[in-house]
Amino acid sequence: MAKPTPDATRPDPDALLAGLAQGGRGHLKIFLGAAPGVGKTWEMLTAAHAKRQRGLDVVAGIIETHGRAGTQDAVGELETLPRIPVPYRGQTLEEFDLDAALKRRPALLLVDELAHTNAPGQRHAKRWQDVQELLEAGIDVWTTINVQHLESLNDQVARITGVRVAETVPDTVLDMADEIELIDLPPAELRARLKEGHIYRADVATRALDGFFREGNLGALREIALRRTAQRIDKDVTRYMRSSAIPGPWPVAEKILALIGPDDAAANVVRHAARLAEALRAPLTSFHIERTDDNAKVQAALDLTIQLSGTVITQSAPDMVRAVLDYAAAHNITHIVVGRAPTGGKFGRWFGRRFSEALTRQALAYTLHFVPLPAAAPARSRAVAPPRDWAPYLLASTLLGLITVTGTFLRGVLPQEAMALIFTGLIAAMASRAGRSPGLFTAITGFLLWNFFFLPPYYTLSVADPRDLVALLVFLMVGLLTGTLAGRVRQEAATAAARVEALRRISLFGQRLSRAATLSDVLAAAAEETCNISGAGILLLLHNSTLTPEAARPESTMLDDAAMAAAEWCLAHDTETGTGTGTLPSVPWRFFPLRSQGIVTGVLGAATTTAMPAPVLQTLITLADQTALALERARLTMQTARAVAHEDSQKLRNALLSSLSHDLRTPLTGIRGAAETLAASGDALDAATRADLLASITQDTTRMGKFLANITDMARVESGAIEVKRERLSLASVAEAAIARVPGALYTGLNLAPDATHVRADPALLEQILVNLLDNAVKYSPPGSRIAISSRRAGGDAAISIADEGVGIPGADLTAVFDSFFRARSVDRVTPGTGLGLAIAKAFTEAMDGRITALSPRLDLPADGLPGTIITVELPAA
Amino acid sequence: MISGRILVVDDEPQIHRFLTPALTAAGYSPLRAERGEEALRIAASQAPDLILLDLGLPDMDGHEVLRRLREFSTIPVIILSARDREAEKIAALDNGADDYVEKPFALGELMARIRTALRRQGANDPPAASLEVGGVNITPQNASRNGEALPLTKREHALLLLLARNRGRVLTHRQILTALWGPAHTEDVAYLRVYIGQLRRHLGEETAKLIVTEPGVGYRLTDD
Repeated sequence: MAKPTPDATRPDPDALLAGLAQGGRGHLKIFLGAAPGVGKTWEMLTAAHAKRQRGLDVVAGIIETHGRAGTQDAVGELETLPRIPVPYRGQTLEEFDLDAALKRRPALLLVDELAHTNAPGQRHAKRWQDVQELLEAGIDVWTTINVQHLESLNDQVARITGVRVAETVPDTVLDMADEIELIDLPPAELRARLKEGHIYRADVATRALDGFFREGNLGALREIALRRTAQRIDKDVTRYMRSSAIPGPWPVAEKILALIGPDDAAANVVRHAARLAEALRAPLTSFHIERTDDNAKVQAALDLTIQLSGTVITQSAPDMVRAVLDYAAAHNITHIVVGRAPTGGKFGRWFGRRFSEALTRQALAYTLHFVPLPAAAPARSRAVAPPRDWAPYLLASTLLGLITVTGTFLRGVLPQEAMALIFTGLIAAMASRAGRSPGLFTAITGFLLWNFFFLPPYYTLSVADPRDLVALLVFLMVGLLTGTLAGRVRQEAATAAARVEALRRISLFGQRLSRAATLSDVLAAAAEETCNISGAGILLLLHNSTLTPEAARPESTMLDDAAMAAAEWCLAHDTETGTGTGTLPSVPWRFFPLRSQGIVTGVLGAATTTAMPAPVLQTLITLADQTALALERARLTMQTARAVAHEDSQKLRNALLSSLSHDLRTPLTGIRGAAETLAASGDALDAATRADLLASITQDTTRMGKFLANITDMARVESGAIEVKRERLSLASVAEAAIARVPGALYTGLNLAPDATHVRADPALLEQILVNLLDNAVKYSPPGSRIAISSRRAGGDAAISIADEGVGIPGADLTAVFDSFFRARSVDRVTPGTGLGLAIAKAFTEAMDGRITALSPRLDLPADGLPGTIITVELPAA
Repeated sequence: MISGRILVVDDEPQIHRFLTPALTAAGYSPLRAERGEEALRIAASQAPDLILLDLGLPDMDGHEVLRRLREFSTIPVIILSARDREAEKIAALDNGADDYVEKPFALGELMARIRTALRRQGANDPPAASLEVGGVNITPQNASRNGEALPLTKREHALLLLLARNRGRVLTHRQILTALWGPAHTEDVAYLRVYIGQLRRHLGEETAKLIVTEPGVGYRLTDD
């Protein structure tokens, strides 16, 4: 909140920004009424007609006439969007067609009944969400609402009128409005209209006059509506004052803390706190201490907090009062809102009262607000009580029986006090193991048994002595205290254990994800672990160009169109959607956005048909965050890998360029040098030198020609412009042709196996392969060494091998030799060659569906000589 | 002074095939080496007057040969290489090469470079009291044309003197920067460009042409 500092006369940037943020949005005008029938819709339609006559493109999106003739007439000639029929439980509901409205894009759209709840299966659960989307699309909207539908006023109205409306709208929606018009009608006039049948049919109207439409009710509602509008105007004025830099006084920073427990007051507490927050312009925080008996009410209250733009804090602590006060002190809380002591059960009440009393005693620094319970609460609370577990009672009864029977036999030996101690022990044991109720059951039954069997006079129930009363009291105290204490310890232990377990699983999850190296590994691991932890079917979707499912557990999990729409909504709006949320709640999935660095990159979906309990939700949210992080990491790793690969290919390109340049420059240098030597000093040279220079020119020219042919071959292979024939070829004749083209080596002849004499291949390509291989063998062998050509059968293939006694290939290079421009040793210090020969041999072989491999050193050569190389080409035998 | 033994170090037989008769015809006695070790051995034992060195040798990189040669000898070295990257040239020159000729080269140009290198070697030790560059007389103190002092700053004069003393030879940016500004400024090539520009303006159009830019490598004051 802006403090009046010396330069406070500058406009507050936040206020200006808030004004700007509304720029691209449509404008919202709300016609607010105190009760049904005040004429909101009629007023809206009349105003709309006026706009339309001034040439504005006005369309009625949906108008609820409630069969009122006046309203029907008021629609008049306004263009009205057709409704879409939605089948629901055997009947057909007619709903507002949001997509049609978005498509039509009028300048102004009328959407009646803002609080309406859409039929299941629609995109949004509530109509106000439809309106929100329309506004975001830049369409101006006029709408109507009655004040009792406002979330924070819901209780207040219910208490006044005795009627609770189920359809509520968050107060923020009202804040969204750029303009609010209060449709006011004095209660007397409204009742008159009702009597005349303008609002309901006569029979309904009579009942309504005595019920909701009592004069007192209407008066109160009217006051609430007026006050709410005034509040809103106050806010507008404040905003105006702030953005125009009109100096304070500004409210001091108030902070509201709503305490949420598993009781009926929870939602009321939140609503009251929200109202307070609104009035004080203070932030709202709902504070909840985790317990094993947390229920749907807690979750609902926490959800409500979020809806009312508050924050939720959940802690685990044994001392609730301490935890609350610590939090309040640490966060400068000024107001604490708490429910009145619960009335759920005797002990609950006692406990709750103790809590509020302790709070009252200790929270001296805070303004405390006690919120009353809703009237119909206790009945509901009993209905949700969990079913009793009978096993401890059975066990207690058995043990009591055993002790009693044994005790009867020992009656002469053991004094009655000893028996009392034994019973006390059992009570303590039962209470600590099974809890308070079984403990009390054991205490009472034990007392009765002890009294009946072991306290003289035997076999009667009598409390003759004050001593016996003390015994009964001790029994009960032991049962109660032990049970309560043990119960609390167990509860905390269970909460702690559950937390530890959740943390352990999450940490395991993190570990597993951190081991996943690639994007697909991360996706698979995340889906599997999330499925294991939550027990729900899990689907991970990533946003590339569209949102696509990437991993699922179980594998077959699929999304139907509605679920897909919910997932896409989740992605587009960075909000949870599906079951238990306000968007597409009828979809049997809950979707969580996967955010990394503030951007939603995907969606985590968990299959569920019911609202998930808070701990599961919390875990899933954590898992979604972790998954998003892991995905981000995998993406970065991939990018790095790509960058490295790019760098590698840069290096390769440099090597290639330098190789090309070397292979062209060297013969060119020779040719030019020889030619210029001849030109400059030809006369001074002897005939032999002149002849040698001329020969050298010819040789270098041949070398360049060969190099260019190789490059052309490679280019042909790489561009795919090579046509491969499949002919039955005699290896002997092809090899002889190749040998003839590569002189300068000592061939040890052709050694062809009888079942590998022919192959199916392209004659020109095969010959070139052999020429290149022989060329290579000659190049890397000392003069006069032997080169052997052989063949053998290998399955359906004939394997042709060319073995030399040359320098060999280091193991690490055995596959790399077939890469373009690879050369044994580095770039330009080699025996003349192009570095393309083996690459071409490989490309040609593969073009004929064959395989080429290199082996070095040869195992069949003497160990003291050069290692030698065998290159083998496998082609289909014929 | 045309005489002298020239060691040609190259593993390409084709190069020797034409250089041997060409050098012989020009009056030099060529020596031949195909490997780095061999080249160093001949350089040490036979003390040639000049070395033509290829950078790509089978046993040892040409830069390494140069480095080891400079440990015991100052004989002029001209690099012959098919590697055309500036970085290679700069490294070779910084390592003590006197000049650089790219393959394929014009025989006439190679011969000219050999003559320059040999002449400088011959005129080596006693630094001349005054040098003459395109009608400009340069002494260690000042530079003048027809007895009229040129308005050079101290730095510009030092730069001109450095180029003149290494006439015909490529000086890398690094060598010039180190000589004039010290080893801390070896990267300030932009600086050097400014000074060269100013120097060229002061020298006048004709003389300025003598300062040749070797793109990406450095500058050379030509002979003619």
